[in-house]
Amino acid sequence: MPDSITPTTGPLLDPIGFAVFKNAMDAIVDEVAFTVLRTARSEIIKDVMDYSAAICDASGEMVAQAKTIAQHLGAIPEAMRAVNAAWGGTLKPGDAVIMNDPYSGGMHLPDIFMFYPIFISERLLAWVVVICHHTDMGGRVPGSNAADSTEIYQEGLRLPPLRLYHDGAMDRTLEAIIGLNVRVPDRVLGDLRAQYAACQVGAREITKLAGRTSDFPAHVAALLDYAERMTRTEIATWPRGTFHFTDHIDSDGLSEPPVVLQVAITVRDDGLLVDWEGSSPQVGAAINSTLSFTKSNTFLSVRCALKGDIPNNAGVFRCIEVRAPEGCVLNPLPPAPVAARALTGYRVMDTMFGALAQIVPGIMPAAGEGGNTVVCLGGLQDRVPFIVVDMISGCWGGRPDQDGIDAITNPSQNLSNTPVEVMERQHPVRIEEYGLVPDSCGAGRYRGGLGLRRSYRLLADSAVLQLRADRLRFAPYGLAGGEPGAPSGNWLGEGNAKRALPGKVTMTVVRGDLVTHHQAGGGGHGDPLARDPDAVAADVWNGKITAFYAARHHAVAVDTETGAVDRSATLRLRRERGVAT
Amino acid sequence: MRIRIGVDVGGTFTDVILARPDGRAFVSKVTTTPADPGEGVVAGIKAVLADAREDPGNVAEIVHGTTVASNTILQRTGARTGLLTTAGFRDVLEIGRIRTPGMFDLGWRKPEPLVPRRWRLEVTERIAADGSVVTPLDEETVRAAAETFRRERIESVAICFINSYVNAAHERQVHALLSDIAPDIMLTASCDVLPEIKEYERTSTAVVNAYLLPAMRQYLVRLSGRLAAIGIKAPVQVMASNGGMIGIAAAQERPVFAVGSGPAGGVTGAARLGATTMTPDAIVFDMGGTTAKASIVEQGRPALVTEYEFRDGISSPSRFIKGGGFMLKVPAIDIAEVGSGGGSIARVDAGGLLLVGPESAGGDPGPACYGRGNTRPTVTDANMVLGYLNPAALAGGSLPVDPALSHSAIEQHVARPLGLSVIEAAHGIRAVANAGMARAIRAVTVERGRDPREMVLMAFGGGGPLHAVDVARALDIRQLLITPASGVFSAAGMLTADIEHDVVRPVLGPLASIATAEIESTLADLRADGLRALAAEGYAPENTSLRFAADLRYLGQSSDLTIALPDTAFVEGGRAALAAAFHAAYRVSYGYQANEAIELVNLRLTAVGLAAERLDFSRLHLDPSAVKGTAGTRQISLPGGTSVIARLLARDEMVAGVTVSGPAIIESYDTTILLPPGYAARTVDAGAIVIAPIEENA
Repeated sequence: MPDSITPTTGPLLDPIGFAVFKNAMDAIVDEVAFTVLRTARSEIIKDVMDYSAAICDASGEMVAQAKTIAQHLGAIPEAMRAVNAAWGGTLKPGDAVIMNDPYSGGMHLPDIFMFYPIFISERLLAWVVVICHHTDMGGRVPGSNAADSTEIYQEGLRLPPLRLYHDGAMDRTLEAIIGLNVRVPDRVLGDLRAQYAACQVGAREITKLAGRTSDFPAHVAALLDYAERMTRTEIATWPRGTFHFTDHIDSDGLSEPPVVLQVAITVRDDGLLVDWEGSSPQVGAAINSTLSFTKSNTFLSVRCALKGDIPNNAGVFRCIEVRAPEGCVLNPLPPAPVAARALTGYRVMDTMFGALAQIVPGIMPAAGEGGNTVVCLGGLQDRVPFIVVDMISGCWGGRPDQDGIDAITNPSQNLSNTPVEVMERQHPVRIEEYGLVPDSCGAGRYRGGLGLRRSYRLLADSAVLQLRADRLRFAPYGLAGGEPGAPSGNWLGEGNAKRALPGKVTMTVVRGDLVTHHQAGGGGHGDPLARDPDAVAADVWNGKITAFYAARHHAVAVDTETGAVDRSATLRLRRERGVAT
Repeated sequence: MRIRIGVDVGGTFTDVILARPDGRAFVSKVTTTPADPGEGVVAGIKAVLADAREDPGNVAEIVHGTTVASNTILQRTGARTGLLTTAGFRDVLEIGRIRTPGMFDLGWRKPEPLVPRRWRLEVTERIAADGSVVTPLDEETVRAAAETFRRERIESVAICFINSYVNAAHERQVHALLSDIAPDIMLTASCDVLPEIKEYERTSTAVVNAYLLPAMRQYLVRLSGRLAAIGIKAPVQVMASNGGMIGIAAAQERPVFAVGSGPAGGVTGAARLGATTMTPDAIVFDMGGTTAKASIVEQGRPALVTEYEFRDGISSPSRFIKGGGFMLKVPAIDIAEVGSGGGSIARVDAGGLLLVGPESAGGDPGPACYGRGNTRPTVTDANMVLGYLNPAALAGGSLPVDPALSHSAIEQHVARPLGLSVIEAAHGIRAVANAGMARAIRAVTVERGRDPREMVLMAFGGGGPLHAVDVARALDIRQLLITPASGVFSAAGMLTADIEHDVVRPVLGPLASIATAEIESTLADLRADGLRALAAEGYAPENTSLRFAADLRYLGQSSDLTIALPDTAFVEGGRAALAAAFHAAYRVSYGYQANEAIELVNLRLTAVGLAAERLDFSRLHLDPSAVKGTAGTRQISLPGGTSVIARLLARDEMVAGVTVSGPAIIESYDTTILLPPGYAARTVDAGAIVIAPIEENA
């Protein structure tokens, strides 16, 4: 039986007022995010939705999060510490601080955090935080996202916590510096203005809410406590013990050896200890994940394993202790490059999911595609710079009670996609294909989702192509006897001239070149021979798998004309393979 | 005498209203017949005709809000539908926009597309973004697809090619060819629905249309037949999602415009009522059994969106939670919906948080007090325990209830877990439900840059008048208006609609430099399209009104704002006025304006055929049987737990000039109005009741 809502300190709140307050916070933070969506300039934000929004309390603890990129928000505490160290006590209403430095709590340079303090009667009440992935931050490669940089100085403009807005006006010095150092200043500055507009909306609404709420800080504290209590209550039902899992990144792109991620989750009476001891040392290429980002993905993985509608706030984080040895790929030391750290974040999730599947097997899926593939094409068209930053999502792995999902965002994010027609209207590229890859699913009692493919033909004279893919060597794992999904792939050209590219590429392409990416398929869950033959046949009928695949992986014979199971042929197949029927 | 009939088919009841030219109105409620809603419609019409002692031959027009389109999607009973796409893009429909509606939910099920992969076929053709032909259409691939469709017994096919919004030649060619070689298959070309940029949205819209074609045709044809059989020869008009009507022929061709037909009548009615009661800007609040809906009316017109997502279950009021439904790029009333209705169930979660809805006990088994097997407390049970509802029976005495059942349900599931008294818990259930409804209202006001405090809250639906004052208070709204005929207001609203056709043409380019001639010729094309559509429904040009608008955005953005154009021809000066209007609207919506280049995206026209005899609320008077209720006093509980004696009166006692002060309960056949202390109510025109804090109601 739950207690009343008792914050660790402060007065007892009435449960009704608390429920109303929680709804109001959720509504406000979604409103902040909506404002970004409607006012931003870059496809990566307005179409792909690579941004996020949160409300933090005066001390910087995250209290509410919009339904945007989940992965961003566990990084806020570290970033907030850096902002407080640099500006604590000196900010005034209308000010906003930005930062992107991964070694000050940031994630990678394109993600610019904006912190907007809200004051009531000169007292700091709360913060609005808006994080956007910007199209470019300068550096050696358009999009500032290269996986093959070797130190952070190559990756672009580093911003420590700086006051971009002073009393409502953009700082002209900073504006000039940023404008000069990025390839598409209109977009970057336009998107920063969108961030500021969204912050103002959040501040306006939080101020109104505080006016209606008897003791705002006590309510905020209760919201954090509520999430913590929900989390602890649920973890208390989990089996005690230590659970291990290991997954891999193909390589860092500069050298051959795979990057190992190894986790041990210990379930204690009052929470979790997550230890990344045994993971690879930091690498030469830009896939190192700062500790804040490692924590972010660790928290998020646990959040996905929890049932119920627990608010995603810092109260959840309190129940989870994260350790990663200094100098490892999950806690690198400067000046290690980090631009493509998202990839490592996805693998942190996959590794966590693998360990969590031993703790809550009824919830966790087999591995999905392993994180979106980033495709950047940058160059000049009629002497004007253009940059395409596109992300190709994938699928979910098979689940304990149902198939994985075809064509869906990675669960660590909530990304969308750029419409083909919008892409072609704005950039010198033509998308020649965007579709599912049949037979790419990992077989299982519940199959994984199908991978996605997308191809780009360059319509400008030349461009730098920067592609970051993974899961070419280490395909998404299956669970409980399910098979791995098909690996991903990159290709250049078509017909006889088509040749495979490595997973991580920075190269020049020229007019007419066709670049194709196939995302990996999701892993299967459970024994493929235990799959309902009618479900196998339905996939053949629907063109998602071939009859050949059905026979080979499921020992089910399907009549492709009718889409029905051929019972006698299936019996024969199973007898030949020595399978019980 | 020429009479008109409005019919609203709801989840539980089919509401019918009959209006005579003198404003006298009769209402009836009959049980909805889900298997064939037309049965209930005809039964309701027969009942209301009998009540009014009217001859079927006198019926001049029937306006119909139908859920056939929405239910066909929800129940997956539409056509065997095929899709023809550009080579390389057969999966656009299934891929969609990739997002999930909820986060952290690993058990989510993505809705199956309306066309399975097997029936999504590709043809060889390609148009570039500038409209030029990259690959000419290969007719052989179309013939091969037609053969497959024939073999698979496909009934209806959508055609949507990449970049057809700039150049629809290939879509039209394929349409013509297929009509020729596969005349039995119904066709929907995306360029004929609404030719706008974004392939997924356009494909999805065309597919939904194709999917609905046979069901809608069959339903409307059969309904016309049934009506003819009882002697009604009047035309049937269908409510469209945008709050206008379309003729039966148009509804049969483009059913996708009628997916939001059901809730549209109430909003249109609210807009007209606003004109009668001098409240042109209003928040429209409709609370039923399962959900509550909010929308706004500005300057006498419902606020519209140009796209929306239709989904299973409850629509979230949050704007960017997408991915759970079927994208429809058609104009629709901007409605936010939350799972707070009379039947919404209250519970306490493991963390000690009180939650209300979206799970609903519906009308059957219904709230605990119905005694039909549900023992979990609902919002209605909270209202019962607090004394707000008639403790003997609801629905004019036809539905017996037992408040003791409400009491024990709340005690067991809410009061005890939270350590509260039953009365406190009941107030809590109301407070949480009210907060959810306030959130829906915020979604259509604050999120759109509109200040709810400056607007009137117009409430109807079975539960709206019972919660309206508290919801208004949460948003600092000071003026409320309870509509006449609250329980059947959607049906009444339909009789106030005009015929409307929306047409759109893309005109992408910078506003500053796009050629005036191009704008003018596009406007002329729109005008011709609109007048043609209206002429087909018998409207001569003098009985029409044309509303032009432009979709604008800052260069590089993806979302646009729709700005009205003056009715006169576009001139050079119009360009500057349009830019100024856009900057101003942008500031209102997003709090800032940029001094940046503006891009013109689309030109639109809403062509309105002015209905000659639409219902005039100022002359409406309901038949007395609809406004009966109990009189006397009843003990009720106020938030905070004080118990007071409230005056109890029937709605027909609320004649013009009478002012009643709270605490009071005003009962009628289909709804109950709660008037808390500090508020006063008085009847204004059309039998509407205005509620305001006492100092403002003097």
